[in-house]
Amino acid sequence: MNIEVKNLCFAYKAQSEILKNISFGLGQGSFLSIAGPNGAGKTTLLNLLSGLLKPMSGSIKIDDAPLQSYSIKQLAKKIAVVRQEFVPVFEFSAAQVVSMARTPYLGALAFETDADKEAVADAFEMTDTARFADRPLNHLSGGERQLIFIARALAQQTPILLLDEPTSFLDMGHQVGIYDLLKKMQIENQKTIVAVTHDINLAAQYSDATLLLAADGTYKFGPTRDVLTTERIENVFGVKTFAAQVGQSRFFFPLGKYGKGSRA
Amino acid sequence: MTDQLTPRRLIIKIALCLALLVIVMFVCSLVGTQKVSLRAVFAGPGDEPGQNIDYDIFVRVRIPRVILAALVGAALAASGVVLQAILRNPLAEPYILGISSGAALGVIMAVMLGLSWRFLGGSPLAIMAFVFALGTVWLVWLIGHLAGGSGITSLLLAGVVVNAFFSAVIMLLTSIIDSQQLRSTIFWLMGNITEKDFSILFLSAIFIIAGIAGLFAICQKLNVLTFGRQEAQSLGVNPRAITLVAFALASFITAVAVGLSGLVGFVGLVVPHSVRLVFGPDHRQLLPTSALVGAAFVVVCDTIARTIIAPAQLPVGVITAIIGGPVFLLLLARYSKKVGSLR
Repeated sequence: MNIEVKNLCFAYKAQSEILKNISFGLGQGSFLSIAGPNGAGKTTLLNLLSGLLKPMSGSIKIDDAPLQSYSIKQLAKKIAVVRQEFVPVFEFSAAQVVSMARTPYLGALAFETDADKEAVADAFEMTDTARFADRPLNHLSGGERQLIFIARALAQQTPILLLDEPTSFLDMGHQVGIYDLLKKMQIENQKTIVAVTHDINLAAQYSDATLLLAADGTYKFGPTRDVLTTERIENVFGVKTFAAQVGQSRFFFPLGKYGKGSRA
Repeated sequence: MTDQLTPRRLIIKIALCLALLVIVMFVCSLVGTQKVSLRAVFAGPGDEPGQNIDYDIFVRVRIPRVILAALVGAALAASGVVLQAILRNPLAEPYILGISSGAALGVIMAVMLGLSWRFLGGSPLAIMAFVFALGTVWLVWLIGHLAGGSGITSLLLAGVVVNAFFSAVIMLLTSIIDSQQLRSTIFWLMGNITEKDFSILFLSAIFIIAGIAGLFAICQKLNVLTFGRQEAQSLGVNPRAITLVAFALASFITAVAVGLSGLVGFVGLVVPHSVRLVFGPDHRQLLPTSALVGAAFVVVCDTIARTIIAPAQLPVGVITAIIGGPVFLLLLARYSKKVGSLR
């Protein structure tokens, strides 16, 4: 197992448990979506998986070794993380940002070797972003910036990629573009992808497995097709949906009480 | 990827800045109220002291003073670079976490108590400034960590509060000391470079150069740290450890500089900014070049301070602010235009 989570529990200081007894396993090269309403603990779970938070009880294993047995540097060679929209303080160029992915591999003098440069160039090629390599990150659009952070995660050359709502501020075209890219990396490079998302339909379309977290601390893990049903979505999000099959994916359309087509 | 930093490019840039610094130091040691002939200097000290006045002025007065100014400039500029990185704030400067008010309190107390002992060639003012500066930053660090929170914010808040409190105490003390004491304190507060013994110069040089070398070793990690603690950790950098090392070394070299020259302002803010505008934000390049440019800048400012109203001398801090401000605005206008055209 690439990622193995057993009986994971977590609570922030003096608050009730946000994650209760979560267990699941992922093989190398699978695509997991973590979905659920705001405040259900999606980002918390991602932070636990990346080692930023420590579980109260339960265990996380990465490549069959406990997460805490890795040093920060070793873990950075196993797991890369892409976070939500972020604008850095100083005007680093896109090329400099992607190069920082090589930090865990650098020697004492901290200069990139040819192998490092190759990894960076490959990442630019895969994300098709080489044309703005020289531009400061602050001067890119949100979609371009997010692509650069994904390029950085690729240049880190890790088997596992964690993403926290990578497309929440992006338009439709960029959303699909980024998920297509993730899917391609899963298939071509055998990467394990774990993406937190609000968007049930992106999960339905791209992920093999889904972990649906409810606000009350319960969860459902399984193949995406089995986890995402109209009844369960109504239970978890409190919204009725209409399900429609397109190709192999089932999509969900939310039906509001006062929307035009609603019967209310 | 035209601006990739390679060791070769870095060495060339450092060599250029170093050459600039050496030329500036050499020219500035020739400038002064007393004309010095180089030929006379190379003739050597002569058989008995006082025989060759040119040599005495050049070697015993001018050179130590120029070296002192360079050390202070290098320490403040390097420290400014590092504090801006760990606080993730381009407005940070070496004095932001309470060093200045701590040192000032130490000096005022030394003046009031009329201390007169010497330690390792340092005057009581210098030693008290150094000790109080270091004590204050550690107090700020401790308060910041006891207050908890997300590190950076609580650290900044602790700095602001300690600065405000100490400033109040300083006001109280300045209102009760006599005018002669007040004058020497105020000169010190404005940043004042004076001739020092070779022994203290040598010791300070070792401290400051070692401190900057230590900071240079963590520059790539500082690059990553400017993206925040979480990002740093996912890129394999321990944010706590690096912040602590950077903070300790930066406050140490600042305290040494403050002990040497009082509160020379503006260098730690303006030099890192100007160098970043020209050379970009990569700390592996920003730190060494800022240190060298900062050194040259303070040498020039001190030369102006000691010649412009000769035989009297101005505090160097006045000149750094008067020259630094406009120069910085000029760079800002010029380079932000260049960046704007990229869009």
